[in-house]
Amino acid sequence: MSKKVVGESVPKIDAATKVRGQRKFPQDFNMKGQLYAKVVWSEYPHARVLKIDVSPAEALPGVVAILTSEDVPVNEYGIDIVDQPVLVGEGEKVRWLGDRIAIVIAESERIAQEARQLVRVEYEPLPGVSDPREAMKPDAPLIHEERGDSNILKYIKIRKGDIEKGFAEADVVIESYYLTPHVEHAYMQPEAGVGYIDKEGRVTVIAAAQWSHDDLHQISQMLDLPIDQLREIVPAIGGAFGGREDMYIQHLLALCAYCVRQPVKMVFDREESVMRTGKRHPYYIRYRTGATRDGKLTAVEIELISDAGAYASTSIPVLSNTASFAAGPYVVPNAKVDAYTVYTNNAVAMAMRGFGSTQPAFAYEMQMNKLAEALGVDPVELRMKNLLEDGSIALTGNPMPTGVGIKETLRQSALAAGWKEENGGWIKPDLGPPSAPYRRRGIGVACGYKNVGYSFGFDDKSKVIVELALDESGEIARALVKLGASDQGMGAHTALAQIAAEALGVDYEKVRVALVDTSMVPNAGSCSASRHVYMSGNAVIRACQEVLRKREAALRDEIGEKRVVGEYEYRGRSVRPTTPYDPETGMCDPHISYGYATQIALLEVDVETGETEVLKVWAAQDVGKAINPEMVKGQAGGGVHMGLGYALTEEFIQKEGLVKTRRFSEYHIPTVADMSREFIPLIVEVPDPTGPFGAKGVGEMTTLPTAPAIISAIHDAVGVWIDNLPATAEKVWRAMQGRA
Amino acid sequence: MWDEYLFPASVEEALEMLEAHGGEARIIAGGTDLVLQSQRGQCLAKVMVDITRIAGLDHIEERDGLIYIGARVTHGQVAASPLICSRAGVLAEACGSVGGAQIRNVGTLVGNVVNALPAADGAIALFALDAEAEVAERTGRRWTPISTLYAGVGLCTVDPCAAMITQLRFRALGKGEAGAFERLAKRRALVLPILNAAAVVGLQGDKVAKARIAIGPVAPTPFIAAEAAEALVGRIPHEASVTEAAKLAAQAAQPRDSLLRGSAEYRKAMVEVLVRRALWRAVEAASLQEGEDGNS
Amino acid sequence: MVTLKMILNGQEVSVDVEPGDLLADVFRDKLGLIGTKISSGEGECGACTVLVDGKAVDSCIYPAIKVQGREVITIEGLGQDNRLDAIQQAFVDKTAPQCGYCVPGMVISAKALLDENPHPTRKEIEKRISGNLCRCTGYYQIIEAIELAAERLAGKGGLE
Repeated sequence: MSKKVVGESVPKIDAATKVRGQRKFPQDFNMKGQLYAKVVWSEYPHARVLKIDVSPAEALPGVVAILTSEDVPVNEYGIDIVDQPVLVGEGEKVRWLGDRIAIVIAESERIAQEARQLVRVEYEPLPGVSDPREAMKPDAPLIHEERGDSNILKYIKIRKGDIEKGFAEADVVIESYYLTPHVEHAYMQPEAGVGYIDKEGRVTVIAAAQWSHDDLHQISQMLDLPIDQLREIVPAIGGAFGGREDMYIQHLLALCAYCVRQPVKMVFDREESVMRTGKRHPYYIRYRTGATRDGKLTAVEIELISDAGAYASTSIPVLSNTASFAAGPYVVPNAKVDAYTVYTNNAVAMAMRGFGSTQPAFAYEMQMNKLAEALGVDPVELRMKNLLEDGSIALTGNPMPTGVGIKETLRQSALAAGWKEENGGWIKPDLGPPSAPYRRRGIGVACGYKNVGYSFGFDDKSKVIVELALDESGEIARALVKLGASDQGMGAHTALAQIAAEALGVDYEKVRVALVDTSMVPNAGSCSASRHVYMSGNAVIRACQEVLRKREAALRDEIGEKRVVGEYEYRGRSVRPTTPYDPETGMCDPHISYGYATQIALLEVDVETGETEVLKVWAAQDVGKAINPEMVKGQAGGGVHMGLGYALTEEFIQKEGLVKTRRFSEYHIPTVADMSREFIPLIVEVPDPTGPFGAKGVGEMTTLPTAPAIISAIHDAVGVWIDNLPATAEKVWRAMQGRA
Repeated sequence: MWDEYLFPASVEEALEMLEAHGGEARIIAGGTDLVLQSQRGQCLAKVMVDITRIAGLDHIEERDGLIYIGARVTHGQVAASPLICSRAGVLAEACGSVGGAQIRNVGTLVGNVVNALPAADGAIALFALDAEAEVAERTGRRWTPISTLYAGVGLCTVDPCAAMITQLRFRALGKGEAGAFERLAKRRALVLPILNAAAVVGLQGDKVAKARIAIGPVAPTPFIAAEAAEALVGRIPHEASVTEAAKLAAQAAQPRDSLLRGSAEYRKAMVEVLVRRALWRAVEAASLQEGEDGNS
Repeated sequence: MVTLKMILNGQEVSVDVEPGDLLADVFRDKLGLIGTKISSGEGECGACTVLVDGKAVDSCIYPAIKVQGREVITIEGLGQDNRLDAIQQAFVDKTAPQCGYCVPGMVISAKALLDENPHPTRKEIEKRISGNLCRCTGYYQIIEAIELAAERLAGKGGLE
């Protein structure tokens, strides 16, 4: 009776509406009588606001209201640390270009645009700081003087084993300095939404959000209203990649609706989205790796400094993640890690695919490839000697939980890419001749791993309700899965519907997932940390078991019940409790579960121009269990896209806090022509027994290995190491000329 | 944005409309540049005179050895034209590299010239082809070398509020003649160039009889590397002479440091690479031409 | 105000527009057709792609008045109530749509290609969608979808 749905590439639940263009994104909503709002943004990266004069704007016909800091009941918010003003008032400071001075609300978008140009703001520019290493110095200008006398937001240290002994045992030491830049999320759907008062008098927001229930929490504090007077509806999301985890428009829409009591629509143009919203953390990484002659890692000494930007956002959890992954997926007996996140006047840095695990992945994999070269060992072979396995002791002193499939991802991708394995040794394939006399071929390998679910003792949980509609004979006619999980496009809702279908023993087509409306669905936690398949999938299975029990009881008692409801709240700590860092040693059990990936890139470098063309990428991801294999391949493709952009084409240029790359014409994400000519995704399934059907997570892991694989392949081709991203043609050219 | 949008049925009507609005009206073709300029307050005209429905401006044809391209012709049409591909391949290459398919379907080659940016791909190829533009004013029409249209970055000597360009022409490449276009950019599509170069060479026997090299953006206007081209004339185009010409071109070019495009040093070095590759491909194609026809 | 008359998705449509209105805004704000998306706002991503007389254009920078008397196809013009267009179906079957925001523009670009060239090579497909950005997929499944649609339309795939 039970049908196999899990493991099948069923059509995505919303694919048909998306190909028709019917699926609505936040900017596609229009309400009767709606007004239009535009933000007046800060003009300086660091300045005191002396005077705000809204009168010229107010005088424009069609302007309904102009909100300033005085209109905000509680003018502060923040997803972790509450350090951010909603609107900056007279006498207060702007700390980056994304600070807001006012919101203009008008009868048409055109009038709102015109009016916001008329708001007059006088600033007193203040000395700022745009390099976190400068910002750490005692004499640096303070970004948040109200929080203390240092710009250092957080410091984490890990001390494992005996670092001096570790380096003394090393025959080879590799030391490098890596720079990973700001990255723009570049989701295709710019921030947008509508705020209004619903029929129940609730302040309601329609917007793309990764954690609608948490948004309500922050909005509740901002408006000083109880949560049951608030509501957030999340329609289709046009990509997020972490960029919708903090609020960038939700609270503004709520404030507008609250103040004018009419529907208000706001849409950011691309320039606003690029210039005024958060980015991936830049990291400055000093990395020393020691290993023995026969390729065993003995010690790592790592300093990581992240640029938090003007406000904390999730810089502290990101840093915590970073530190835990700093040594890579390897057994390293001795380690010294010092990690800092520091305020500057740059763009606020926030969650982005990888959440602090992407940057160290670049560094640790570059180190491994440099080590392989120094030792004269094949890069696959070197990794096989050191990679984590089930039960291996990780950097933070904890044993790795069952399901460590990283070696399998390396093995499968290497074999697919042409490596030969002989008696534990690995032999790189012949790459063939280049396509032109001025090109050289190279191949590079990299691994990466990341947590699934929230960490360091956070009570990660997901609550799900499953409703069954029964027909006359008591059979399940339809099932509705209700949870506050956003589907940003990766297919979370589809995967959960598949899990529900299999758990209920019904056809996939009978299962629906409810619209995310906080007034109707429970809190499933954030759509981040690659967690929904694991956390919500586990909750769905148990909620289905619960509802099936209730159905049985209903049938047995012949109540004639046509609708049965079950619910379950799954808590990560019920299977794997995690613990926070020990403040002195950094030892802990940081994460619930993990996902693993290896990628291999084959490319050609034009030795005269420095340009790189990626020919082939093999991407192997260990997902535990592929709920929908084609969706996993989609995540692999998208991860490679983001990683390739990170490595080669994406340059976010900011000088002294002023953004220079403001639009898609200036910030270049890869086009189809920039992607590898061939793509070979490989699904690896090394189950985590605590995961639903053994599943772990995939969304972020697929973007970790791409950049180091590509950069290492560039070295393989032309003998230069590019330690700071992106490896633009000019950078590669300079390195080849010896003029770096 | 503008307040009025007009569709003249003839060039004369278009010019009348321009005159009637006394500087407030200007010519628009595809609008791929003008729409953005208008949105950003860089184009202040209140009346747009759209020439894309005027008959007789959509030709790509050859007459007496000259190829004529009308003002309505898009980059896409140029790139796909069998005539251009066979008799002026360098221009097809250049136009095919502009933007993406959507931009190429709408943006016109003449519009690209009038926009007067030093890196415009189509314009660089036109410079290498030594093209002329026909300017239509109330006083009549006249042909002028394309270089006379460029007054500086974004500055066309033809005032789009008073006149229009109706067509372009250049000598079709014949026996022993060929061109090639090279482009360097930050990604492989949908992007402005860091550098582009077009070379057209004509061989007579085994020697170069004529050569023309255009490069952008290394100056406020498209740059003709005259000395470099001159250095090739009369010589056998082997690796050494071609490289020497490319080096001369690089010496003459004066790109500036650009935050978005890269350093002057890199771009100067790349001039040598692109010019050399363009020359070499042009020479190879020109030699093939000769060989096929049997005699020189 | 000018009355704009076009043949939109096969029907004669009349709508009043300002001379400065852009085509994408007219669809979205005046005609209730929200399938055409705005992303870069400067003709730099193709999310707003529609067909004008069979040619793919970026409607976010296309003056609406230019389609006076012309034939326009938007994503809403593809497929019927109970059936998807072959290209749309192929996208679904290849799991191509992720967030879906780029999809209408991609499908329209693919339609322009296949209407003109029913047997495109992979390179030709790539060239045709090089003006369509996607941040979710890496384009691989989108290319596969267009290849599948071409096969099916040519009668080789068993469907249609």
